[in-house]
Amino acid sequence: MLSRVANNLYWMGRYIERAEHFARYSRVLYFSTLDAPILKTYDRKFVLESILYMAGIFDMEEISEKEVLLKIGLELQNSNSILSNITFARENARGARNAISTDLWEAINKYYHLARNYPQDTYLTTGFYDFTMMIQDQTSILSSKIYGTLMHDGEWAIILIGMYIERVIQIIRIINSKLHDIYKIEQAGHTVTEMSFEWTTLLRCVEAFDMNRKFYREIPDREQVLEFLMLNPHCPRSIAYALNGIRRYEEKISRNERKDSNTIGFNIGKLVEQYRYLSFDEYKDDIYGLLNRTHDKVTQIGSEFEKKYLSF
Amino acid sequence: MEQPLKGILDSYTKEDSHYDEVFKESGEPKEHYQRIVERFNQYSVADFERINNEVKAAFFNQGITFAVYSEDKKPDERIFPFDLFPRIIPGREWSQLENGVIQRNRAINLFLDDLYHKKKILKDKVVPADLIFSSKNYLKEMVDFTPAGGIYTHISGTDLIKHTDGKYYILEDNLRCPSGVSYVLSNRLALKKSFFDLFTKLQTKTIYQYPEQLLEILKTVKPKNTEVPTIVVVTPGMYNSAYFEHSFLAQKMGIPLVEGRDLFVDRNFVYMKTIHGPTRVDVIYRRVDDEFIDPLCFRKDSMLGVPGLMNAYRAGNVTLANAPGTGVADDKAVYHYVPDIIKYYLNEEPILNNVLTYHCDKEEDCRYVLENIDKLVVKPVDESGGYGITIGTSLTKAEIEEVKVRIKSNPRKYIAQPIMSLSVHATFIEETKEFEPRHIDLRTFCLMGKESAYILKGGLTRVALKKGNLIVNSSQGGGSKDTWVLD
Repeated sequence: MLSRVANNLYWMGRYIERAEHFARYSRVLYFSTLDAPILKTYDRKFVLESILYMAGIFDMEEISEKEVLLKIGLELQNSNSILSNITFARENARGARNAISTDLWEAINKYYHLARNYPQDTYLTTGFYDFTMMIQDQTSILSSKIYGTLMHDGEWAIILIGMYIERVIQIIRIINSKLHDIYKIEQAGHTVTEMSFEWTTLLRCVEAFDMNRKFYREIPDREQVLEFLMLNPHCPRSIAYALNGIRRYEEKISRNERKDSNTIGFNIGKLVEQYRYLSFDEYKDDIYGLLNRTHDKVTQIGSEFEKKYLSF
Repeated sequence: MEQPLKGILDSYTKEDSHYDEVFKESGEPKEHYQRIVERFNQYSVADFERINNEVKAAFFNQGITFAVYSEDKKPDERIFPFDLFPRIIPGREWSQLENGVIQRNRAINLFLDDLYHKKKILKDKVVPADLIFSSKNYLKEMVDFTPAGGIYTHISGTDLIKHTDGKYYILEDNLRCPSGVSYVLSNRLALKKSFFDLFTKLQTKTIYQYPEQLLEILKTVKPKNTEVPTIVVVTPGMYNSAYFEHSFLAQKMGIPLVEGRDLFVDRNFVYMKTIHGPTRVDVIYRRVDDEFIDPLCFRKDSMLGVPGLMNAYRAGNVTLANAPGTGVADDKAVYHYVPDIIKYYLNEEPILNNVLTYHCDKEEDCRYVLENIDKLVVKPVDESGGYGITIGTSLTKAEIEEVKVRIKSNPRKYIAQPIMSLSVHATFIEETKEFEPRHIDLRTFCLMGKESAYILKGGLTRVALKKGNLIVNSSQGGGSKDTWVLD
């Protein structure tokens, strides 16, 4: 596989995943807070700030709701917007057109055109929910095409490495962003029931609410949610699961070569094992620290991967 | 009695001054068009528009588009115009065309070999030596070099028209990087989905072997000492207007699509940069023009090529398809001599006619051209895509004078031909929502390998969508039609 094409596939995977996380986070937060029990806290400014925080935009003091929605959704000048991410995913797919199946290409191209031609007026008035759900639905179609219409070899593995690296980063961002909100609410003093709403929202932001409910059968609380989203190896929306994914597909590319210290395989293996044998009690007082260290390590693994395989 | 419903083709108005492909002089459809006219007449305009829109949406999703940049800098994408009414060629008519195209390309291949080796045809004064040596497409780098399998033009696109006399004439030979075949395959797919029942009734010849045949042809010209060749398609990149075609062909052949920057030459061998290090490349189907393929040899500012590629090629370590230097034979000034070239090498009469051509570097011809510009099509010999062509009947007096000045300043650069009346074909015009006659031509695709040849049974029918326009090139607002060859 050409390094340039591998680079396209890797970034295609990352942008597909990024757009989906961002759309879901914005939708869940925007709509779940419309009838939140702690309505006082949830003035619209608070919600919009949280969405902007997730989008990495910190410098917008006086901003209307419409401007926020436009900026995060359809604005091409904002390279973090949902549409920009889809555009980048599609451009990378175009650069690797012959390496992917016709089915996958047409699905991603169609996805791009749906988002690109989504009427702005509809989006700003009645279409925000529909638009963000469309992103999720189209991503599901892409996932099925990636699994079902590509050979499960190098090209496939590279796309999935990109997706899992991005997933770890996005889950960390979402947890960080929501913990930031929860901290503010806790400071104001609220009941257990009210707080469970916040933890439920976090689970929904990562699309893990149903899985969590099935696993614990209890009202979500801090320990249960953070343990689930960080350590559960069977929840596809957890950090541990995504790290496993990176290791699994990296091995397909490195062809199981020796894992000397400081190789990519060594570093990802070490991180996977660290998560495997970690208990919540060990890090409950250092959640931010662990999230940030994991973020840095995965970013570094991504850079090493790019250097070794994608930049001949 | 109940009035029969009006069919969508009933309002079609024939133009008697042109050869109509679909309708007889009486207004009845020709025999091979009867079924499709009957079928189309069952549709209402609304039905037809709906199918038309569905096909356009499918093309859009397939990415058969080109970018248009608007003032707000948001790139907009448009599909290449496509007309749903297929052009139909009966089997007998096609056989003659196929034989003629293969004959022509066999002769051209022998001609190229001769030009770069013994130059017998020049010594025998069948083709003037000046004409060849003054062509910028004659590459000294190819002299005394024989490409693998002896093939120069692995892929050629021969353009034909049908005149008012109902006969086919060769308009030009495209021997460098002819494009359009991906549209042929995509057009067919679109029509199969929309009018599947017609295919079962009409027994249209299939065209889907083209990518497989191309791959087989490329395998036959692998370098010596290569067991299983690594074959790639080279593209200038995804911003090239034909990128869809490059990626389409690579994908259908199952081979890598590479750019110049993905390749390098080491000790006269070509390698591509893969995730596990260098991999040797043996055959390159290049869609980059000669002047850009190797900055060490040709244009030094080329970012699209591979430094050292020509040395690797001349060392016999890699095959390029088409061979560099084939452009000397599709020069419009050489076109005039192709019938003589066929007779010279094959000792056969040409099966297909050339259009009568006046050569401005011949004094007598030039005088005639200068006196009759208003009745002639004047073409620069070394341009493609319909650029620089003037059609006498549409020129003002001042424009005629301008053309005269251009010809006088460089007669070698121009040829002229009588204004051939391209045949017309019923075409759905979106603005009027009616079928109207529009001029068409036909690009055929011929593949040549070592001891093998293949011609795509169909081709790209290009249609000039603007009323009265004779230039069908997509760069000049032309569209395309599917071409059905019947058994």
